[in-house]
Amino acid sequence: MIKKTANFFTYLFIFTAFVACSDDDDNGPDPIAVESSTATNIPAPQTGGQGEPVGGPFTKFSFATGAVTTSETDWDIAFRGTSIAVNGGAVTGTDDEPERNGDAGVSIESGTFADITTVEGLTFAQDADGAFAIASGSDNGWYNYNPATFTITPIPGKILVFRTHDGKYAKVEILSYYKDAPAEIDAMSDEARYYTFNYVYNPNEGETSLTIN
Amino acid sequence: MNLNKCRLSLFLSLIACLHVIGQENSPSQKDSILTENLDEVVVTATRTIRQLSSLPLPVTLIAKKQLQQTGFTRLNEILNEQTGIIMTPDATIGGGEGVQIQGIASDYVLVLIDGVPVVGRSSGNLDLSRFAIGSIKQVEVVKGPASSLFGSEALGGVINIITEKPSSEKISGQVSHRMASFNNQNTNLTINQKGKKLGYSLFADRLSTDGYDLAPTQEGQTINPFYNYTLNGRLYVDASQKWDVFASGRYFYQEFDVAPSTSEEQDLNLHLKVNHKPSIKSQLHYELYYTNYITDEKSIDPIDNELLVANDFDQRLFRPEIRFNHTFSTQNILTIGAGYNFEHLERSLFAGDVTFESQYLYSQFDFKPLDDLNIIVGARFDNHSEYHSQLSPKISGRYDLSPNFAIKGSVGSGFKSPDFRQLYLDFTNAAGGGYSVFGKEVEQAGIERLQENDEIATLQVDPSELGDPLDAESSIGYNLGFVIKKGKLSTELNFFRNDFKNLIDTRILASKTNGQNVFGYINRDRGYTQGLEMDVQYKPWKNLNLSAGYQLLYAYDKDKREAVKNGEVFARDPETLQTVRLSTSDYFGLENRSRHTLNAKIFYEIPEWDANANIRVTYRSQFGLTDQNGNDLLDVYDGTFSKGYALVNLTFGKTFFKHYQLQLGANNLLDFKGNNPLATQDNEVLLNPGIQLFTKINIQF
Repeated sequence: MIKKTANFFTYLFIFTAFVACSDDDDNGPDPIAVESSTATNIPAPQTGGQGEPVGGPFTKFSFATGAVTTSETDWDIAFRGTSIAVNGGAVTGTDDEPERNGDAGVSIESGTFADITTVEGLTFAQDADGAFAIASGSDNGWYNYNPATFTITPIPGKILVFRTHDGKYAKVEILSYYKDAPAEIDAMSDEARYYTFNYVYNPNEGETSLTIN
Repeated sequence: MNLNKCRLSLFLSLIACLHVIGQENSPSQKDSILTENLDEVVVTATRTIRQLSSLPLPVTLIAKKQLQQTGFTRLNEILNEQTGIIMTPDATIGGGEGVQIQGIASDYVLVLIDGVPVVGRSSGNLDLSRFAIGSIKQVEVVKGPASSLFGSEALGGVINIITEKPSSEKISGQVSHRMASFNNQNTNLTINQKGKKLGYSLFADRLSTDGYDLAPTQEGQTINPFYNYTLNGRLYVDASQKWDVFASGRYFYQEFDVAPSTSEEQDLNLHLKVNHKPSIKSQLHYELYYTNYITDEKSIDPIDNELLVANDFDQRLFRPEIRFNHTFSTQNILTIGAGYNFEHLERSLFAGDVTFESQYLYSQFDFKPLDDLNIIVGARFDNHSEYHSQLSPKISGRYDLSPNFAIKGSVGSGFKSPDFRQLYLDFTNAAGGGYSVFGKEVEQAGIERLQENDEIATLQVDPSELGDPLDAESSIGYNLGFVIKKGKLSTELNFFRNDFKNLIDTRILASKTNGQNVFGYINRDRGYTQGLEMDVQYKPWKNLNLSAGYQLLYAYDKDKREAVKNGEVFARDPETLQTVRLSTSDYFGLENRSRHTLNAKIFYEIPEWDANANIRVTYRSQFGLTDQNGNDLLDVYDGTFSKGYALVNLTFGKTFFKHYQLQLGANNLLDFKGNNPLATQDNEVLLNPGIQLFTKINIQF
């Protein structure tokens, strides 16, 4: 079923893209190319945990610049430990959270990274009092905690599709929670709370496509 | 490795030499397997005495001789050498060992002593090393579901330990001591006597060991030093031609040396059976059984002597049962039985004491509509205080096409009632980060309690679903077998399939404000195991017995297999870390299952020397221990596979002056140690402690 839907959207996209392109050739500015990028080692320190209240500032990230930002407004998603906040909705109530002043949201989809080609038809959730839009806890949101090896790894097949704070779209596949994204994680020696993820950001206002061109 | 091969070939050539010498001394003797097999009777398959070779069900019989000649002392060791029966390590390092039959895990295998069940499972797993195999006549294993006779837990099979009746009018017995690697010291004493009306049997066993370590680089030992005692007294009274009485008491005590912490285990079984024969054709059995299993664990901080964790477990079962047999003609037997189970459990992690009551009624008709055709039909009804009642029917048949060839088949159902843990556990793991687990009966109250304390972040299930009763896990098992006997060669082939439904799984009920989860139980999973078992026995000469066994196994979770087929399951490429979609061939199947298991045994006797020798080899192919990449199933991208391995065990025995036996042997002769794939980097964790040498002296009197 999912596959069929995906195919349908692929055709739909190709069709609309074709139509859109032929329009754009004649008038208006050229669209900015949609590119696939990788963000490496985005630090996500936190304080507390293990029964203590979690705190510390989130590391804010902007898809438009492809980098960490300290801006209070121009950020899309933010990281602290395993928590990922979106710049939309309301603070969940933990200590030191940034104010949500944008319209970001997230939709967690199943598939390979390439499967997700458009945001058409997706519903975007926002942070709210008491709960992050990306649910916390092992197997609930984006990660799985393995109690035998004490490692945190992204759940395979979970693609995070974001609406940015200013209404554009991006898709993200988290690759690693450990510094330098080791293929084999050793919980004792590898440093945790460093995100590495692939993302595709469509910088064009109003475009719903998430395929690279 | 070369050295190991040398050792093996040396041994084999030694056996060959012994044989040549033995042959020279003994004139060739005629023998018939058939006459020998007539002695082999089992009681587990039908709850009546039946000749093994005529049964329509797959049954494995481990005779006393095999138990003695291998030099083993515990039930788990001997089971592991039988076709289709594997002792599997727990996925967690240092965890217990569980038996697997037809690919079905230990939780679904019922263990009996003289027909009555033992209790005391840890996470569903029954530790079979608890059972000393001295003073027993044989071990019977019925494969496939047998709930039509035995009720709950009999899905994968039934293991029945049959104790030995005294046969000699003089006081007789034996005393033995066995020493083995890891300072394993085992002493036991058996005394038997049978008078005209009164017989008794006494058995005492003490085992102690320094234990061993599978993870040398880590602190502590995998198996801590321990000692245990088994005491068993049995009384046989033949009051009259019509009445006889059997009474048995067994007590097991085990203590681990983990100072300053403590870890104790006790197991008590009291069994009384009165048999009444009102006529030649009818028999009534009145049975009372009580068992109590207790563990007492205290984890104490070695520095400040503070009590860290106390884990106490006290399970009791009391069961009266009445059984009636009526023989209509030689081969037509009707069996009717009824019983009542009273179960009680106290456990530290439970909300309170728990009591179960259940009643059951079963009936079986074993008949021969034709000379060559035997049919057994039976059913059992279990009524339980906590979950839906169960009806378990079974039908099996055997057709002897010729004296050398028979076909047998059976279809039966099995079930396992939700266990105490799945119903009443109320546990928050403070040390493990603060996750909580609730049994079905207490989950609603548990969630409400956490909500009142503001510990719940989001509820992941519909609150109206909480507390819906759990169903029993159930299965239907199919077996189709062929028996071929030709002279010195006998072959058994059995195809099996077991379909499971309502398997109980954990699910996330809610996420907590501390980032951890609340887990509950749910009937969800469907699975199957299917495959083929083959046993070949060849007895070229009277004193030489060759046998080989093989099992082919496919074991899958049905829903997960479906999801993989539909392209809904993903893994991560170990190099790029990117998501890839799994194909059907990437799904390896259930954890801890080997596709191929093999065994080969040579038992050789040299009567002239009063000596015997045997070598047994078991092999299991590659298996995976656990999902590692977060997709909740074992796939080819998981790095948790253990390579296949073989264990070679050998034993020499010789009798001196009629009453003195000396045994020498080695278990795991090739010194296989293996590598546990779950070990973290730079930490070596072994699968097996390596070669274990032993010697045993036995004095018969």
